[in-house]
Amino acid sequence: MSAPLIDVQNLNIRFHTDEGLITAVDDVSFHLNPGEILGLVGESGSGKSVTAKALMKLNAANAVIGDKTRLLLNYKDQRIDIAKLKKPKELLIARGGAISMIFQEPMASFAPAITIGAQMVEQLRIHDKSLSNAGAKDISIDMLNRVGISDATKRFEQYAFELSGGMRQRAMIAMALSTQPALLIADEPTTALDVTIQAQVIDLMKDLVRDFGMAIIFITHDLGVIAQTADRVAVMYLGRIVETGTVRDVIRSPQHPYTIGLLNALPKLDDLDAPLTPVPGDIPSPLDRPTGCVFHTRCPQVIAGRCASAVPQLHRIKDEHAAACFATEVEPA
Amino acid sequence: MTAKPLISAKGLSVHFLVGKGVLGRKAVLKAVNDINLDIPKGAFFGLVGESGSGKTTLGRAMLQAAPISEGTITFDDGSGPIDVAGLQKQALKNYRKKAQLIFQDPYAALSPRMTVRDIIAEPLEVMKITRTRAETDMRVREIAAMCRLNVEHLRRFPHAFSGGQRQRISIARALVASPSFLVADESVAALDVSIQADILNLLKSLQKDLGLTFLFISHDLSVVAHTCDHVAVMYLGRLVETAPTRTLFNNPHHPYTRALLSAVPSLDPDDRGKGEKLEGEIPSPIAPPPGCKFHTRCRFVQDRCKREEPALRQMGENHFAACHFAKELVGK
Repeated sequence: MSAPLIDVQNLNIRFHTDEGLITAVDDVSFHLNPGEILGLVGESGSGKSVTAKALMKLNAANAVIGDKTRLLLNYKDQRIDIAKLKKPKELLIARGGAISMIFQEPMASFAPAITIGAQMVEQLRIHDKSLSNAGAKDISIDMLNRVGISDATKRFEQYAFELSGGMRQRAMIAMALSTQPALLIADEPTTALDVTIQAQVIDLMKDLVRDFGMAIIFITHDLGVIAQTADRVAVMYLGRIVETGTVRDVIRSPQHPYTIGLLNALPKLDDLDAPLTPVPGDIPSPLDRPTGCVFHTRCPQVIAGRCASAVPQLHRIKDEHAAACFATEVEPA
Repeated sequence: MTAKPLISAKGLSVHFLVGKGVLGRKAVLKAVNDINLDIPKGAFFGLVGESGSGKTTLGRAMLQAAPISEGTITFDDGSGPIDVAGLQKQALKNYRKKAQLIFQDPYAALSPRMTVRDIIAEPLEVMKITRTRAETDMRVREIAAMCRLNVEHLRRFPHAFSGGQRQRISIARALVASPSFLVADESVAALDVSIQADILNLLKSLQKDLGLTFLFISHDLSVVAHTCDHVAVMYLGRLVETAPTRTLFNNPHHPYTRALLSAVPSLDPDDRGKGEKLEGEIPSPIAPPPGCKFHTRCRFVQDRCKREEPALRQMGENHFAACHFAKELVGK
């Protein structure tokens, strides 16, 4: 098997704050193959956005990355550890070169006083110095057409505020894809959109994966969106991956009590009689991180004396399906 | 509708003047246009629609928190009908005791400088419902317990609480004056899934225990399907369909309702890409299309739809849809 596009090993991120060091991501490892869509799902404070931003080194200056962390990128016969990149010039490969990112709020991602076209041309020419203004304009208009923006030549001259929400999100996708990255990180790209527009953007992203063969890390809190887009999924809670596997395995036969709880709490349209069962308690504050298994304070299957003291590691259930839970762990043969 | 309506809108319109037009003429934004709606006493009434459909404006109009341009809203909790649009001064203050709003964002709705006790007590003091501090404290503690808030938490400030706890504080504040009608505008939209179910269950149990009537505004169809007993769908300021929840979800008649339902992402990974995809976006409410407001995105559009605006017609028991071809389209 060829090397994965991205291989994240032992990702550890802590933030310096007035209240001390806060752990945001704790020993997270995953990989991603070319053309694959990985869903990162979790609630507030799960560390899903911080994890993705680490791949582009976009976290704030007070972020501390662990010593053992490796963020390996295999790109055009090179093997680069993104965690070790420092100079702005070296970082270009992770910021728009091999990896691009789209965000939840497209309005905040475009400069309000510069036309969409000028922003697209600028970033294209940063990544390809040999490109002329006219050449960059052609690529940009072509990309705007590709993402289904009508009247692309006119939109190229417009400002972000002149576009509707759905159009803006399409324009942002066009901008992120114009440098032909190998990996697209999409951070809640449909959360601010209406459900009918969300369906359009999901379709668009799936088409683009097929046409460009790129990989996507799709960050969302919505398991329905994951079910509709991802090949594999990693469920995060308070900075740890608690369960991972193919979308079918994780959604159809969830093993971790948190994944099970999340699915039970979700109102489902195909079963209106199913009661809504909340996960008991609240998500602990990051200042008040539980010892042992991070979920033990809310877990219905907590094992006294064990879960509060020891940290469960991911153990294999079947093929790629793995969960980090003592209660569901099968005794090794 | 069989039960007597608690609140009833007749020909209700809310128009706003926006921007500067040519020769100083301002454009008219018809946020809510000619809506007839009855909310029966004790109902958990859902109002759904996309951004710009007018659902929030309609909810606010019912609280006289949006300017009512045309039509009437009548509120009757058994002590005589109240004409909501005409309320002024003391009468409006009295109405505020009966009808309250629960906000969307529990982070923005609570003052960071007040303790939880003071936040919940404020409506009692402003409306002069309680006379002594001891009486106020008793009422605050009673409502806090109902909303499953820890009495010890009352001395703390909101920043110490999580989103779910803050929303419970917000609900306690809305309920402290013993209203009979509550408008819950996207009250769970800002919450995480694992917390959202808890707040929905709380709202339902409060409704049952206190005999409340809810107007539950949401963009999330799955949430509405699980909490409401009757649902109304809005599009561009119009009511396009209204029916008991089961009927609406099992047998939607309006093409917009059908498209909205099929756009909800299914939890089944093998159910990808099915259903009716809606093209385009909701038109601007300043320049709505003529005829049926949905015709620009409707896949069943006919010439008649472009000229003539359909009225709500009865499709079944308590089931109404505003589509010229609603009956012919069933099953297509």
